[in-house]
Amino acid sequence: MEGEKPLKGAPKPSERRGSAGKATLTSHILNLWSTATLLQPQVNLSLAEICENFDDEGRDVGKIRRQKSQSLTPKPQELEEQALLDLELHGCNSIEGLPKKGAEAISTEAGKEPEGKRFPIVGPKWERRNRNPEKCSSESLISLSKNVPHRAYWTEQQNRLPLPLMELMENEALEILNKALKSYRSRIGKNHFLTKELQRYIEGLKKRRSKRLQCTA
Amino acid sequence: MGIKLKQGSFLWYLYLDKIYCLLSLRNVKALVEYFHILDAHHKDTLNDVLFYHFLHHVTNLKSRQIKIVFDMMDWMCVGEIGFDQFYVLVCILLSHQNHLEQQFMYRHSRPVFDLLDLDGELNIDAANFHMYRFLFGLKKQDLRDLFHDFDITGDRRLNYKEFKLYTIFSTDKSRETQKVVEEEEEKEKEQEKEKEKEKGSEKEKGKEEEKDKWKALLMKRLQTNIVSQKNAQ
Repeated sequence: MEGEKPLKGAPKPSERRGSAGKATLTSHILNLWSTATLLQPQVNLSLAEICENFDDEGRDVGKIRRQKSQSLTPKPQELEEQALLDLELHGCNSIEGLPKKGAEAISTEAGKEPEGKRFPIVGPKWERRNRNPEKCSSESLISLSKNVPHRAYWTEQQNRLPLPLMELMENEALEILNKALKSYRSRIGKNHFLTKELQRYIEGLKKRRSKRLQCTA
Repeated sequence: MGIKLKQGSFLWYLYLDKIYCLLSLRNVKALVEYFHILDAHHKDTLNDVLFYHFLHHVTNLKSRQIKIVFDMMDWMCVGEIGFDQFYVLVCILLSHQNHLEQQFMYRHSRPVFDLLDLDGELNIDAANFHMYRFLFGLKKQDLRDLFHDFDITGDRRLNYKEFKLYTIFSTDKSRETQKVVEEEEEKEKEQEKEKEKEKGSEKEKGKEEEKDKWKALLMKRLQTNIVSQKNAQ
């Protein structure tokens, strides 16, 4: 019954939601971290439906989700049993991992990735990380399956790219963009709107990167 | 001549499937993210400057080659490259990295043909193919042989069927050469193993001979000691 208590005590998304934007998302996420167990039950919602709820700027489109969740016919017991079975059999909780054949079928003529040959970050390690079974209890499964925002959060976490990879991409992109900025300045001048736009973008990227570095440190 | 990716760059870590010459879903997802990070103007495209600096940073291509590639990829002639074109380019670059140029052309003969058909006349002109041969790892002589052997219609241009035939033959040929190379490598390995074994056996023989020598010396000394003791008595 431990799983239910923290979730019962957790404030509803509507109560927390003040201004739209990243602040609500981060506070929501922090709330989830502090209250929910690290459980990733099987999600029957498609990725498209889940991604609708969080747009690029981090605004929570919770109203639409609540409406949908109310209209969904809940089958907690079936969900629980299926999720437990899958955890035991596959040790995998992700959407990509469980319907493995489906995910591979989506990718056009995808082949097998070698284990740790060329892509140590995104390849096997990333997949293994996502497949590690977390703690699970039947009670928390039921409560989490009922609570849609929590499911969506874990699904989103599941589908995020690993941080080292993001860092590599951002560092490389910064180098490329800085060179592009020099070209812009020399060809179209400092005051051109494209030059200013690029400059602002680079500054934003640097801030984001430094925030992340501070967090990880 | 070959295109090389910068070691340690993001593209360098991507994995191209060896049979289908495509990226997996996870790799594409990462590539999408990378493309969006580069898309500084939020237009879901890269303009010529961003594209130039990207390729210049990540590959060993020269400026002239980068401009040619941009013109080829900008098949809609809008002055910008979208993700579809970016993805094709990344697959071409990775096929180079993994020595899968022939396999790539075979598996994606239609898109490659469309890329090389610059004027849209449903055939490839020798001059255009020559301009872009660096993208597919073709030497001058290979191109000459190609047009000599596969220009069945004799119009000094390749239509799609002729091009497809070429890709089939070239992959078969490359597979055969790969097999030959692999066999040679195996033979070399076996020869090395045999040499090591021989060395090992020679060492053992040498050791045994040394042991025998020491034994013989010891026996002699013992005998001389015994004889000297007897004489002393």
